[in-house]
Amino acid sequence: MTWEPQIAAFCCNWCGYAAADQAGAAKMEYPAGVKIVRLMCTGMMDPYYVLRAFERGFDGVLVVGCHVGSCHYKSGNLQAKEQLDRVDRVVRALGLGGRLAMTAASAAEGNVFADAARDFTEKVRKLGPNPLRQAVPA
Amino acid sequence: MTEKRKVGVFLCHCGGNISDVVDVGKVRDFAANQEDVVLATDFRFMCSNEGQERLQREIREKGLDGVVVACCTPKMYEDLFRGKAAEAGMNPFLLEIANVREQCSYPHRHEPAKATEKAKALVKAQVEKVRKLWSLEVKTAKIQPGVAVIGGGIAGIHASILLADLGHKVTLVEKSPTIGGNMARTVKTFPTDDCAMCTLSPKMNEAYNHENIDLMTYAEVVDAKRSPGKFTLTVEKKPRFVTDACIGCNRCTERCPVSTAKAPVQVESEWEMGLSKRKAIYLPFPSALPQLWTIDADHCFYFQRNHACRVCQMVCPAKAIDFTMKPERVAVDVGAVIVATGWKEYDPAPLAHLGFRRHKDVVTQLQFARMLDSMGPTRGEIARPSDGKPAETVVMVQCVGSRGAPGDPDTHEYCSRVCCMVAVKHAQLLKKARPEADVYILYIDLRAYGKGFEEYYVHSMELGVKYVRGLPGRVHPEGGKLLVDVDDMLTGRRLEIPADLVVLSAAMEPAPIDDLLASLHVDKTPDGFVKEYHAKINPTETAVKGVFVAGCAQGPKDITDTIAQAGAAAMSAAVFLGSGEMALNPLVAEVDPNLCRACDRCTEVCEFDAVHVDPNTLVAVVDETACEGCGKCAVVCPTGAISVRQFKKPQVLAAIDALAPMAVVP
Repeated sequence: MTWEPQIAAFCCNWCGYAAADQAGAAKMEYPAGVKIVRLMCTGMMDPYYVLRAFERGFDGVLVVGCHVGSCHYKSGNLQAKEQLDRVDRVVRALGLGGRLAMTAASAAEGNVFADAARDFTEKVRKLGPNPLRQAVPA
Repeated sequence: MTEKRKVGVFLCHCGGNISDVVDVGKVRDFAANQEDVVLATDFRFMCSNEGQERLQREIREKGLDGVVVACCTPKMYEDLFRGKAAEAGMNPFLLEIANVREQCSYPHRHEPAKATEKAKALVKAQVEKVRKLWSLEVKTAKIQPGVAVIGGGIAGIHASILLADLGHKVTLVEKSPTIGGNMARTVKTFPTDDCAMCTLSPKMNEAYNHENIDLMTYAEVVDAKRSPGKFTLTVEKKPRFVTDACIGCNRCTERCPVSTAKAPVQVESEWEMGLSKRKAIYLPFPSALPQLWTIDADHCFYFQRNHACRVCQMVCPAKAIDFTMKPERVAVDVGAVIVATGWKEYDPAPLAHLGFRRHKDVVTQLQFARMLDSMGPTRGEIARPSDGKPAETVVMVQCVGSRGAPGDPDTHEYCSRVCCMVAVKHAQLLKKARPEADVYILYIDLRAYGKGFEEYYVHSMELGVKYVRGLPGRVHPEGGKLLVDVDDMLTGRRLEIPADLVVLSAAMEPAPIDDLLASLHVDKTPDGFVKEYHAKINPTETAVKGVFVAGCAQGPKDITDTIAQAGAAAMSAAVFLGSGEMALNPLVAEVDPNLCRACDRCTEVCEFDAVHVDPNTLVAVVDETACEGCGKCAVVCPTGAISVRQFKKPQVLAAIDALAPMAVVP
């Protein structure tokens, strides 16, 4: 079976997840390797989730929250950005640079979600499979 | 390690929407083989009555303590299925949705094999999550009856009356000696030219006399503390030095020596925007409510000159003067608070080119309104403050302090919204009274956006009000007049208008309420107004549950919009207060007291003032009436003591692992 990039997409309930719903409802297509984990807010996005997703073989981690200023909980997306910037240093040190990304899509922006899912998958495809997949004996 | 669970998986075909793409049979067989799954079944429409009954029957018959419904988005029917599960005797929070329509059959409809594989993963993820969930109960919290409305302008008055009519006990707190606010100063209201006092006064009386409204004037909220379902406000009542025995005869004011012609102390009347003087003992305006006189201790000779003067006490026939009164603090317990603190007029002095305060004949629109009032300082005559001569040529200048350059410390970037129509109104009123007067309005854009506004504006042109597009570069005295230099942008000509009176349409600014907002933990937007929860869809709520906002405290608006928003705020508060009990969302943060080490990080990141360390137990305590369940605290907690129910780390990790391409390595 050919390798398809597997992406863990952490979506906040109010924007990212709703945008994905809208993308689906509008029959916009994006790669099936994108798997959504629903969080109430990206503010609850623990940096450990990123490391866990890579450890378990995901080739990329995408976090989709609300636009700055539109967070349902005021500033959860800002905290997420801060936390992800910090963990990204670890991610890069592990040789996984470029495989972690955060973006914003409002509940009305199904197209933004679909584009992000597609573009990020293509970016990760160029990087190749998660090297940790080989490192751990299955 | 964990107990065996009985999980049921229900796969919906969605009448083909799912099953035309996803091979439901394969997903069902896959699901049936998952750990703890005792039932995997599929059905044409899970949301139909038949589907719901089937869900309930299986829960009862198999004694399920976990359910995954693989169907459309949880935003559609999660609540429905949870409700049905609860009816069947299962805890509703043990049911999760696998979104295989919006996330599989729709976006991957040209890749059925991949869509099917993904659907398996999504179902597995929810099964694994459900295995880690436990029952949650919906708790209720008592809400303190009663509501405090802060600010006795038209917004506060209107909201108070509505809530009082609904039977709520209202404490209306006003910092000045009378209710009425700025609307009382405006003489007439656009676009109907109704007499402002005639429409406001009955409402003031209604609020004053309402059996459910406790009116506290000359009083300020100096502190606020929140506990679950309750706000305790500390209200400081300033001493009036006049008791309720006051009969309103006005003898004291007549005899008070302050502000008399030769008196060394002259006090500008706040009510008349400084256009006239007032005594140290005074009633702000004739129809002020309550009709109680007040002594201004900062200017009274009794207080300032070592008890030198007691004239008011001597002439008072009711013996209502009491110089011994002290400030008094009272605690007010309420369940909700409406911030209706209104606005103040921008002081145009920093805009030196307009000459405000430098030239007596430059005034603001609110001052001009006072001049138009037949009861006002000029008895309705539009005269030059410098010499009292009638003003033949009046020039109004728009956007003074509003729509300034970004970052300019002397002006505001926002549009104050009302000034265009205020200028149109005042220009018309003057033209109607004195058709021979020349009235100019210098503007950048004229915004006649409201109902009836455009017609009102057009009518002003018919009356002969002259509009010049352009703002003045300079206002300077010449030949006994004020010369207003302005480039007319529409003709390209430079005009020098010799004016008797220049009227500045000064911006609306929020009343200074920083301390109040800080004690309520309510934020401001960068322009200084109260930050609403959501500018578009929650304009009357704040991020602090139970605190609402009405009127110009939230942003500049006219009286019509203020009334509408005050009504909405009252409604929001009434819904919140409800029957005195609120059902609490169980999906909020909780603290493991054994792990908490009282570092306060959770308190620091919380936007809702919902978590605090108890000083006695040194454990963080979540106020479940305030927590929104965003989970910021869970991420910054160094010990993992605080977490959001249903989104605890093991629960989220279970879903991640189930979706991941690699099997879990032991």
